[in-house]
Amino acid sequence: MIRNLMHASPFLLFFALLVAAFAPDSAHAIPAFTRSYKVECSTCHTIFPELNEYGDAFLKNSYVFVSKVKKTAKDTEPPPAPIAKAVTIPKPVASPAAPVGASPDIQGAGDDELLRKLKNGAMTTTETAEPAQPPAPEATLSAVETPQPAGEQKSEGLLLSAIPEQLPISFTGALNIVYDNKAVNEFDFSTRAFKLHAGGHFRETVGFFATYVAYSEQPPASTGNTSVISTNNKTDLTEFFVSWRHLLDTPVNLKVGRMQPKLGLWKTNNKLSVTNNYLPYTYTVGGQSTGQQSVFRIDQTQDALELNSILGKRFFVAVGAVNRKGQNSKEGYGHVSYKFGGADYLANEPEIDLAKEESILDFLTINIGGYGYVGKNGSANSNDPKNSFYRVGLDSELLYKSLRLRLLGGYGDDDKVDTIAVNQWTRVISKSGTIEAEYALRSNLLAACRYEYLQQVASPQKQGFSDQYIRRYIATVGYNPYENLKLVAEYKYELVTSAINRLGTLGLTFGF
Amino acid sequence: MKRLSLLVALIIIVTVSLSEARIKTKGRGEKMNFDADSIQESFKPTFNLMSVKCIKCHTMERVVIAVQTGRAPITGQPFNKQAVKAYGIKMLRKPNSDMDKKEIRDIVVFLNYVLDENQK
Ligand code: HEC
Repeated sequence: MIRNLMHASPFLLFFALLVAAFAPDSAHAIPAFTRSYKVECSTCHTIFPELNEYGDAFLKNSYVFVSKVKKTAKDTEPPPAPIAKAVTIPKPVASPAAPVGASPDIQGAGDDELLRKLKNGAMTTTETAEPAQPPAPEATLSAVETPQPAGEQKSEGLLLSAIPEQLPISFTGALNIVYDNKAVNEFDFSTRAFKLHAGGHFRETVGFFATYVAYSEQPPASTGNTSVISTNNKTDLTEFFVSWRHLLDTPVNLKVGRMQPKLGLWKTNNKLSVTNNYLPYTYTVGGQSTGQQSVFRIDQTQDALELNSILGKRFFVAVGAVNRKGQNSKEGYGHVSYKFGGADYLANEPEIDLAKEESILDFLTINIGGYGYVGKNGSANSNDPKNSFYRVGLDSELLYKSLRLRLLGGYGDDDKVDTIAVNQWTRVISKSGTIEAEYALRSNLLAACRYEYLQQVASPQKQGFSDQYIRRYIATVGYNPYENLKLVAEYKYELVTSAINRLGTLGLTFGF
Repeated sequence: MKRLSLLVALIIIVTVSLSEARIKTKGRGEKMNFDADSIQESFKPTFNLMSVKCIKCHTMERVVIAVQTGRAPITGQPFNKQAVKAYGIKMLRKPNSDMDKKEIRDIVVFLNYVLDENQK
């Protein structure tokens, strides 16, 4: 859908001179879903890759559009096509007082053939389309249970082999102009990244996702001639996992592979900003020597095994174990979240009585999540003492009409951070927090401002560790001229222990 | 022969009654909408309201196709009375929907009326 570029120009001009370090993120929202489900990006996104409630439900259900209606699973029937299940059948809102809805007299499964023709344009050649047949009165529930949305009819071969009909591959790219008051090259307009994504499911039983960074910009060489064109920094498989849905007919899903463990409420890319990840998810605990830093981050992708489940539609639980190469001991984590108001985790609409006066609660949604992670790190393949650490955090999100408020709080404890010499261990306590308000000025124009802080203090006594303090103020404006193209302007004012950083970014991100 | 003429008569009766009962559509593509002439007078204000409010983010084609086919065109879900209400709530809750509860209630009642007419 083409959107008007003009509306954003004052904002873009305002931020056009500002510019920040460019960090490629892992993505999780891809045009492959648009292609295979024939839905628009805004079904699941505000401005991609930030998710709305339905995108979050899609993610929690391992890339399967969930449906309230169970399959009939007749033996003779072919398995349901991967795309044949669509978003939740909206919940019948049973409210006797309501003047509308809740009328069971129409059981219509709809006219798939007609819909297919309409979609193919076959019915739109006459000025006045003759109205279609109403849903057949004798249509039974079982017909509802095996819908064929978007008029898709799959060949038996594809059905039997469980291969998605559309090649589930997408590309995303980012081109940024970065301003950094500390850099030699203050205005750098050559930061870019290019990624491949694959995602989908096999017969709704196994969900899969992969992100492959094909190109990310090489950091400037400190020596060498400036005429040398920057080359690929590195390629990387940042995500690659499968999720076995509803393991042995239980509500539990088993996820295996390289993934972002379910800790905080949001995956890295689930935000408006293209460069600034949330501080509680990204800080590391550094000593002066790099060897013994605690480089663990909440949002890093890990080789993990995770069990997760939606319980009672509004409760989400995840537990997992993480493996590290060169280290025998495993790490563990857990997450719980609960949603008040809004669509539930299966994307059913909330019960709202249309007959009643409008109330704040009709539009209020609160999502609360807590997590914990316990791990160790240090030199690989060695018996040297390792740093034992844990992180706990609490996140919440409040949605009210066009406003979205996010709060993050984190606490971390690292017991052996190397300071000056080997075995000069220091225990470091980290406290971090973020508050971000985002407002949808239009459905394709969002503005956000954020404050975040980090405090890292050696405890009980210092052994050469210098305490760290970071304060950040970030303003972001994002504009979506097309649903698959995003323009972002952002400015970060950062106070670190002994310096002030001013960073600006003008970024273009797109997917296809 | 008698049977054939009976059948023809039956078909004519059915067709005539259907064309009377059903809400017609007009235009195609982006311009598609229900035909105002076939809408009962008391529902016209709501029809006009819908024709303004529901084209902010997409065209009316989406709504017309949903009603006419009984299937929501994007997700392929059944579009019956329960669904009309749920979609109404979904559209109302969207950021920047520029609608209030009263307007959505009226539109839901109107779409139910259209579904009923098409059932006749
Ligand atoms: C704020 C923007 C916005 C407004 C206003 C809006 N819609 Fe939508 N509508 C959407 C988006 C986005 C989608 C596609 C994804 C979805 O289902 O949310 C959609 C999808 C639909 C669908 C198809 C759903 C499906 O599953 O196939 C119908 C039907 C619909 N809208 C009806 C309406 C009606 C009726 C109104 C007016 C009362 C309306 N819309 C107003 C944004 C809007």
